[in-house]
Amino acid sequence: MDKRDKTKTTDYKLVIQELKENPYKRLNIAFALMVIVPFLAFLYLLTSRLFTIDILIGNTGFILGVTFFISICGFYIAYNILKKIFNKILDYAFQAKHSDQLKSTFVATVSHELKNPLSSIKINIYNIFAGFIGQINEEQKKVLQLCQVTIERMARLINGLLDLHKIEAGVANLKRNRFNLAEISARQINELQTLADKKNVKIIKEFLDESLTVWGDEDKLSQAIVNLLSNGIKFAPENGAVTLKIYSDSTFAKIECVDTGPGIPDNKVNMLFNKFERLNSVEEGTGLGLAITKDIVELHRGKILVESQVGRGSKFIILLPRDLRETKR
Amino acid sequence: MQTKDPKKILIVEDEKELVLGLATLLKSHGYSIVVAYDSLFGISLAHKENPDLIILDLGLPAGGGLYVLESLKNSVETVDIPILILTAQQGGDLEEKAKRIGALAYLHKPFDPELLLNKINEALSA
Repeated sequence: MDKRDKTKTTDYKLVIQELKENPYKRLNIAFALMVIVPFLAFLYLLTSRLFTIDILIGNTGFILGVTFFISICGFYIAYNILKKIFNKILDYAFQAKHSDQLKSTFVATVSHELKNPLSSIKINIYNIFAGFIGQINEEQKKVLQLCQVTIERMARLINGLLDLHKIEAGVANLKRNRFNLAEISARQINELQTLADKKNVKIIKEFLDESLTVWGDEDKLSQAIVNLLSNGIKFAPENGAVTLKIYSDSTFAKIECVDTGPGIPDNKVNMLFNKFERLNSVEEGTGLGLAITKDIVELHRGKILVESQVGRGSKFIILLPRDLRETKR
Repeated sequence: MQTKDPKKILIVEDEKELVLGLATLLKSHGYSIVVAYDSLFGISLAHKENPDLIILDLGLPAGGGLYVLESLKNSVETVDIPILILTAQQGGDLEEKAKRIGALAYLHKPFDPELLLNKINEALSA
């Protein structure tokens, strides 16, 4: 992954910085001592054409002794520098692993600490609402209904934040298999049919390539399709329509979601994929759906495009590489 | 509502407020309830009370829910008791693992109480 490659480069630079000076300068000197000095001595011996016995006594022997000593010093310096570099690299590797563990622990802790109390509130409010603890009047019921809506919103928000955190922290792993895009899209349409019927919004299927398959994470891409569809339904007016189109070209499998909503002004299109960005604050939502969708698509090495015209509606296009197996993560 | 021969449900959950909610919900639907707040007590109560169904949390003190699930599914006395998992834990393979060991259903917190009741009805009428 590109992001990971960048991190690796930064880590490598940090190792060098932590050593306070560039170790390669000293390594160059060390190798010069180890290699160049003995090489020069060897050249001197070759050119002087002395007999073996002459080498071992007199000036030549002295030169060889000094050369040997310098060479040993070179080895010693090089050994120490390399040891320092390897220790730093090991430290960083350990820290990186520890930081990954912390990210996973964060996800587990947040899940546990936020979802447990929310479950308690939800079930106890349900019990009061249903009259299991005693009768309540209509006005009290209305207040409890508001509480239930807020709890559902909080649950969606927690799940959204956790999904986003897992993807961005690199904790989310893709469980890839080859699956039919039209089949999972039809399934998501069925799931959202009740929501669409409530608003009298028509969902139109345009599956131009019904046999189109992709190699990816079925659950995560289903989530991306649901996010686009539910957004389309949310913003479409009553009696409006949302069209889901599946087609492909030689490079990409394409999922297109077109709605007849109010459209997005040009100056706000770039903000669409920001976390907690809700361009229409009247509509209920966590402001995380499109950010998660974009992350999911990018995890698959795909792209998401937006075309929108105020007053006419919006079009979101997910482009997924035809054969993701050729692009390693 | 069940009036005769109430089915017994063991709740193994450490969140007291959630236990209160679950107990109220289940009692109002005619079930009798026994509660354990940690793993080891959960295992011993399952053997002692021989419940018709167990609702089990995974993030439990003293061993964890998967340990309880494994112990109960490895024991001849408790192997046939249907176990529903209720959990706030999110982990890639947890659900698969729990189902492989023998959990009947896996519900994520915060769960829908009506969905829980449906699962219990299904499990007890099977």
